[in-house]
Amino acid sequence: MASGSERTGVASQFFAGTEDAAIDMTTSEKVVDLLNQAAFMSTDDKLIALKQVQELIINKDPSLLDNFLDEMIAFQTDKSIEVRKFVIGFIEEACKRDSELLLKLIANLNMLNQCFSPWQKTLAVCGVGVTPAVFDSLRQWLVRSKSVSDMQEACWDMVTQMKGDVLALLDSDNDGVRTHAIKFTEALIITLSARTPSSEIPKKQEGDISLDKIPKDHSYIRYDVLAEEGKSALEQLLKFMVHPAISSINLTTALGSLATLARQRPMFMSEVVQAYETLHANLPPTLAKSQVSSVRKNLKLHLVAVLRHPSSLDYHSQISTLLLDLGMAQGDIARCVPTSAPTRKRPRHEPYNEGKRIKMEPTLIEDDEDKEEPAPVVAPKPSSSMGTQSAIDITAEFLLPLLSPENVANLVLISMVYLPDIMPASFQATYTPVESAGTEAQIKHLARLMATQMTAAGLGPGLEQCRGRDEEGKEAEGEAAGDEAASKDPIIIRKVSAVSLGQAISVVGAYKSQVAEETPHAKKLPEPIMPSAQPNSGRKKVFRLADVVQPLSDSHLEKLTNMAVKRILQSEKAIARSGMSHVRVKLLARLMTQFEGTMKDDMLRFILEDIRGRSDLAFSLLYQEYNQHLDQLPSGSLDSYEHCLFTLLSGLQERPEQRDGLFTKLVLEAPLITQSALEVIRRYCEDEVRSTVIYITSELILKRPSRQFQYLHVLLDLSSHEKEKVRSTALTFIKRMYEKDHLRDYIEKFALNYMQLLVHPNPPSLLFGVGEDTEVASPWTEETVRQCLYLYLSLLPLNHRLVHELAAVYTEAIADIKRSVLRVIEQPIRGMGMNSPDLLLLVENCPKGAETLVTRCLHILTDKVPPSPDLVERVRDLYHKRVPDVRFLIPVINGLEKKEVIQALPKLIKLNPIVVKEVFNRLLGTQHSEGSSSMSPLTPGELLIALHNIDSTKCDMKSIIKATNLCFGEKNVYTSEVLAVVMQQLMEQNPLPMLLMRTVIQSLTMYPRLGGFVMNVLSRLILKQVWKYPKVWEGFVKCCQRTKPQSYSVLLQLPPSQLAGVFERCPEMREPLLQHVRSFTPHQQAHIPSSIMAILEVNSRMQESQPEPEHMDTMEEREVKNSTQLNLWICIQCTKFDPWQVEELEDEARATPVPLEKADEPVEEAFTDSASPREQAQEAAEDSNAEPEPGAEAAE
Amino acid sequence: MPSHPLRVAVVCSSNQNRSMEAHNILSKRGFDVRSFGTGTHVKLPGPAPDKPNVYDFKTTYEQMYSDLVRKDKELYTQNGILHMLERNKRIKTRPERFQSCKDQFDLVITCEERVYDQVLEELNSREQETYQPVHVINVDIQDNHEEATLGAFLICELCQCIQHTDDMENEIDELLQEFEEKSSRPFLHTVCFY
Repeated sequence: MASGSERTGVASQFFAGTEDAAIDMTTSEKVVDLLNQAAFMSTDDKLIALKQVQELIINKDPSLLDNFLDEMIAFQTDKSIEVRKFVIGFIEEACKRDSELLLKLIANLNMLNQCFSPWQKTLAVCGVGVTPAVFDSLRQWLVRSKSVSDMQEACWDMVTQMKGDVLALLDSDNDGVRTHAIKFTEALIITLSARTPSSEIPKKQEGDISLDKIPKDHSYIRYDVLAEEGKSALEQLLKFMVHPAISSINLTTALGSLATLARQRPMFMSEVVQAYETLHANLPPTLAKSQVSSVRKNLKLHLVAVLRHPSSLDYHSQISTLLLDLGMAQGDIARCVPTSAPTRKRPRHEPYNEGKRIKMEPTLIEDDEDKEEPAPVVAPKPSSSMGTQSAIDITAEFLLPLLSPENVANLVLISMVYLPDIMPASFQATYTPVESAGTEAQIKHLARLMATQMTAAGLGPGLEQCRGRDEEGKEAEGEAAGDEAASKDPIIIRKVSAVSLGQAISVVGAYKSQVAEETPHAKKLPEPIMPSAQPNSGRKKVFRLADVVQPLSDSHLEKLTNMAVKRILQSEKAIARSGMSHVRVKLLARLMTQFEGTMKDDMLRFILEDIRGRSDLAFSLLYQEYNQHLDQLPSGSLDSYEHCLFTLLSGLQERPEQRDGLFTKLVLEAPLITQSALEVIRRYCEDEVRSTVIYITSELILKRPSRQFQYLHVLLDLSSHEKEKVRSTALTFIKRMYEKDHLRDYIEKFALNYMQLLVHPNPPSLLFGVGEDTEVASPWTEETVRQCLYLYLSLLPLNHRLVHELAAVYTEAIADIKRSVLRVIEQPIRGMGMNSPDLLLLVENCPKGAETLVTRCLHILTDKVPPSPDLVERVRDLYHKRVPDVRFLIPVINGLEKKEVIQALPKLIKLNPIVVKEVFNRLLGTQHSEGSSSMSPLTPGELLIALHNIDSTKCDMKSIIKATNLCFGEKNVYTSEVLAVVMQQLMEQNPLPMLLMRTVIQSLTMYPRLGGFVMNVLSRLILKQVWKYPKVWEGFVKCCQRTKPQSYSVLLQLPPSQLAGVFERCPEMREPLLQHVRSFTPHQQAHIPSSIMAILEVNSRMQESQPEPEHMDTMEEREVKNSTQLNLWICIQCTKFDPWQVEELEDEARATPVPLEKADEPVEEAFTDSASPREQAQEAAEDSNAEPEPGAEAAE
Repeated sequence: MPSHPLRVAVVCSSNQNRSMEAHNILSKRGFDVRSFGTGTHVKLPGPAPDKPNVYDFKTTYEQMYSDLVRKDKELYTQNGILHMLERNKRIKTRPERFQSCKDQFDLVITCEERVYDQVLEELNSREQETYQPVHVINVDIQDNHEEATLGAFLICELCQCIQHTDDMENEIDELLQEFEEKSSRPFLHTVCFY
């Protein structure tokens, strides 16, 4: 606090005299207070407080600035980076306010920057943003003060050094730092170049410093040196931009900076447009698709901005071509061209030329003091920018006549070979269909594009000419400098010559590295060799070798060796021509094995470049390596050999275009297959396209017995590979291997082990690739289950014994796995056939828990062919002795005896409807297209009869009806003839089967032409006293009802009491029958017994007199009534099921997919009565109204 | 991690649906967020596609609301416009035009390519003063309520990721690439300077 009050004192003393004390006191007091508080605050609060102080001392009361400067600067040692950043910002503001302060502060700034260096990133992020401004103020101040003190000089040096530091940050690792460095470069270039009349000057920067404000005769700052610096900064920026791995952000920043430069310093227009052109033709390949579109968008935006600038007139054609390529409409482009452009043409030349001169001919500037005056055009313009510009132009002109359709076609064909497999994102984004192909303009454009590329690659006549010109220009420059120098003061001479010398180097160097980074490398490489290879000559002495030669240094030695070997490597063609290539191969192989280091890799790479042509070299190298290994035995390691083999194999593997032949040859002829090589082989085999290569492993197994199990293991591993093609090929070869006795055990064990995995509750990690880190708890999937079984299943048809293992695993596995297993065994089981003794044994033993498996096997076996007697025998045994599950019988049902089938029927028809359907299909022979119905133990008729005869205590009526419906569904099998026979036989039975009449009616519905036969049946039933079987009787009446008037004659055969019963059931029958009788001839009428007539006429009499019916209450009437009651009783008591019930039948129709409905509906309709007395009445009422129609029951 | 919360601007065409939805969500997540439109007018769907309701940027959401209630309450209730305006007026009083705002941001997120272009044009036409970078990212969002909600969440996630970077300038490029892959939509991205 003591220091605080002291400060207050100083402040008040200082200002007391000059300003209003009261106000000032409060401001300075406030500042003091804030500063004091800030010292003890947390970082965030501190920043707030410091910002307040800044506001107070810079904006509110600048006079306080000087006073509190030290206190503020003291915070630069704060721990927090944020606070230090703030101090930099404060320095910037302070310097803007008063540039004199810079002298004091520059050292602090530098110190800040230095102490930041561990956080270089932060330095740049804040420092870069600030420094240009500091620079500006510094320069303003330097410019104004004419006298230069040592202090100022030192300060200037420091700034220069800082500038260098920041520029170096263009190569920083940090993307953001680079971005800021670019912006800094932009500001630097603008400051270090002269403002011209056509420069666009932002209003806020009106007063900013630029080169033109610096007096040429300033004692310390040299105009030309600064211009040079600006120029080299631009070069650095351009160089940075063509870096192939430039990030999208940096690129967009650089694009923006260039646009700003072009607008503010039009003399750079040429470079900028050129840079845009180059960029557009060579978008960095590292950009992603969206980044490409972002960059293109930016490019478009900035191009338009540049286009709007009047100085771009000369470049309009280039810019509009670029914009067209970027997808901008011609009209839009035209709109962006400034209308005043033509009138500005003359002034435009002037800055352009001046720019040139500033850059390239610093000596000439001296006598061209007045910038406003249009400069005389200098005849030879040896400028580097002009050189590049025209290099493209010259090359384009050179190319233009060469672009004949034929040449172009050839070029396209040749370049096809070099196209990448995948379309690069940049191409995809930039491709626009060529609209004006073949026109003059387009050819010109193409020539220009090619010229850009060629120049960038350092090729073409234009470039050579320019180079030549550059050199001439430089000589001329040197002379000019010399002439100039004579009249100028000595300091300038020194400076200038140094500059022009540096320029000569920097122009060529920068130029080369900017456009063609590769060329200098290629050209420089051989150079250092020459002097070292030259012997020291020209000494006159007695020749003594020891004197002349000196031991070479190790590195030199190595270099020479390398080069020697390289020469032998490269001389391939020359030696081939001389016919001594075998010597070269041998030599190389021997040499290679003697040297360690990168040479081997070089050679392997060389071999892989053209493995087909250089395979002899590959083999001899391989054998040589192996030889080396054998020589060193037993201590020698295989590493070198292994490395050689591994590199060759994986090199081959990585080449998609490589055919398998060479790989195979290499593997089979290699003296030894190492573990890593085996890995490569494995990877190679895993490639779907080349899975045929798997046969290599089988070859290896057979031909290299010492390690055959290793190879076999690879093959076996592949057998459960997820790619189908790989797997199936592997399986084919395994099957072949399986035939070899000595391998059989191993394969079998492997397969069983794999299958054994299914017992685990979760798939073991073994099943997943090595790299995949799967959680232990992942459940089995179809895929993983299959993976365990592929090998096993393919072995199964070869060795039937294995089937028992499957059964054992199956019983232990979880349900999901069981399901998968059942799905996959079809093929192999079918392959085994039903005669396989092992399969029969499996059926016979049928382990507990494997019933479903056995059933599935049986189904598979009998799916297409009838079961063999052997199989039937086993199943029968199994069924009778061990597992009395009727489902076992289904597959072999056609192999069973008739008696057995009939016995099993009640159980069979109770099964799931789909299964029942299958059973019937089998029995009726409707399942197979071959139609082996002759195989069935039962004829269709017999089956239907058997169904009727099922004891209703063994099976409920519902299932029986469903089963008969299934029969009726097979119209092809149950023809009218078959049904007639069935009815005939059923009718003859005693007692009558309950479903008889149902079948009769259903047959009639299906085949109306059976009507006569049915009448016959009905008459015969009367003889059998059908009314004694209530159910049948009911049906009988229904049947009569449906078949009237045909049935009238039948009805008349009934005894009177039964006829009365009929009328009781359906009274509406009486009247028509009466009519029918009345239509008889009197003679015929005489045959009708009077009792019948009485019943027929009873109703009309009843209407006449009421008491009659009571009188009519005969014994027979009663009998009928009783029988109805009995009927009901039967319904309720014995079946609990009403065979006539509609809903049931409907249910069934829904359950079975067989299209039975059509045939059924009328029948069901006929049987809808007797469900209950009430319903019966209803039914009767309806019947009297109309003949039942299909669908009427739906309303019920 | 930057010490201050990101200053985010969300920009769409009319500053009604997409930008406001994002504004809503981002401000709930504690971002220093503002929203803008780049259009010359504020347009809201009208009774037919060719008859939009057009307002200028001075009209408050409240005024639009009462105007639409007066015109056809049922229609605008049913197509959700009233609901949207209700939400908007809880956030701020009136739509703002991006071109009229001279404040600085760290991050500008646009909702369609046209808007992105307009923002870039605006930012580039301003005179450079501070060399303060601003990242402009375009996230394509269709102009309907559902897409706006989905888009807002995407934007929010993006902002959170950017907020959590140690060094935004350095990592944003990679971050966007990852994000592009994750959301399988392309982002246009560039950096401008104030």
